[in-house]
Amino acid sequence: MKETPLATDEQDRALVERYLENHRDAAGALVDRYQQRLFNVAFRMLGNVQDAEDVTQTVFFNAFHRLGTYDPRYKFFSWIYRMAVNESLNMLKRRKPSLTLEDDHDILAPGGGAAADRAEAEDRVRSALMGLKPDDRAVVVLRHFVSFSYQEIAAVLEIPVQTVKSRLFTARERLRLALSEGVR
Amino acid sequence: MLSRDQVELIQQEIDGANTPEGSAAVRSLLAQDPEARAMAAELRRVAVLFEQVAEREPPARLKRAILDALPQPARASPGALLRWAARGLRLVTKSMKEPIMTKKAVLIASAAAAVLIVVAGIVTGFPPGSRDAGTIGGVQPAARYHGKVMTEADVSLKNPEIQALFQNDQILRLVRSDVFRQVMQNQAFRELQANAAYREIMASQAYQQLMASQAYQQLMASQAYQQLMASQAYRELQANAAYREIMASQAYQQLMASQAYRELQANAAYREIMASHAFRELQSTEVFRSVAQSQALSQAFMREAMRVQM
Repeated sequence: MKETPLATDEQDRALVERYLENHRDAAGALVDRYQQRLFNVAFRMLGNVQDAEDVTQTVFFNAFHRLGTYDPRYKFFSWIYRMAVNESLNMLKRRKPSLTLEDDHDILAPGGGAAADRAEAEDRVRSALMGLKPDDRAVVVLRHFVSFSYQEIAAVLEIPVQTVKSRLFTARERLRLALSEGVR
Repeated sequence: MLSRDQVELIQQEIDGANTPEGSAAVRSLLAQDPEARAMAAELRRVAVLFEQVAEREPPARLKRAILDALPQPARASPGALLRWAARGLRLVTKSMKEPIMTKKAVLIASAAAAVLIVVAGIVTGFPPGSRDAGTIGGVQPAARYHGKVMTEADVSLKNPEIQALFQNDQILRLVRSDVFRQVMQNQAFRELQANAAYREIMASQAYQQLMASQAYQQLMASQAYQQLMASQAYRELQANAAYREIMASQAYQQLMASQAYRELQANAAYREIMASHAFRELQSTEVFRSVAQSQALSQAFMREAMRVQM
């Protein structure tokens, strides 16, 4: 997720208003705008496709159910990303310690060359991410996979910007050590 | 050795978050300090590695599943109900490596979830807050949502059907039993009761219609149900082995196979509850999951599914 995914807040607000006025097509539009981003956030937080799917579905269900209480003074994307991160953290807490990650290699292109390089990068990044504390992982995911600024991450997670920086820097130190082998 | 501030400046530079002055300071630092250059290079390599990771496409079914679950009870279709139930089954059997997704198993999961709600309603009564709610023994309304130790006096009553139900000797005996109190003191169960979605279901018109329906009355009066409620297994509900015993018991099998239960499943109010967004929200909560995902339930569902498949 390389491009900055920030949808304009005006568009989000307009869709929310349409949905609350019982225009059901607005729901589909909101899902189109956010499902892939939220799914990827959940996947990077959980390292598991099935759990990411469950989290994404739960987030949308809760979001639509609570849209009536959504305060338009706040950005919609902050609100829904926060739910995605929190739901992912909840899922991690519910997991049994012995639960192992699914092997999703079959989703990646087989064979050598660039595909194999991407598969290897995927493996290493996922492994390194899962080695982080969940709170640190959330900051890294929002920074690297959603391209949020420090301020946006702070708004999503409802923590001070300085805490965002601190967690990001700590996490990167761990990532740097975990990923250093083989990237030189 | 780089200071914390210097490391922070380097990281902010990689994130494009430095002010012009900050960027100038980083350039100066990199020009003078080999350690700083090495760190910046390593951090950039990490960033490049992240950029090589492809974005995942969500499963194609996800959008439909999301839209099907939207709060639109009037448009809820049997297909949507089945998809929801399939999701419920997957959640409660997540610890199993190969969830069984047959139609029968899905229906069993749905039925079991419904039984959980109905039994919870029976043993706890409706949520507090209604001024006309009474209590067994005429004692003060329930304080269970505040963590008070439960007694039989904490069972609130609201309508004639429920009051009539509690005139049943076996039900009353159950309510007065130590086992009932133990169930009520179960932390997960109390949290479930305090859940807003649960309370919404309990207070909903659909739930009350269900309670008043002939099918439900027949179920409550059925011998199979009476046997189940009076069984030793039910009295030991909190023990996993006991719950499994219930699921495998003849009384439970009779209940599941009974005409009354089938009529209950076909009951419009019952179906409305199953399709309601409140029930779906409840089902998605951590508290409900902690109850529904108990090892005993998962094993019971799986065993039931295996039994049906045979």
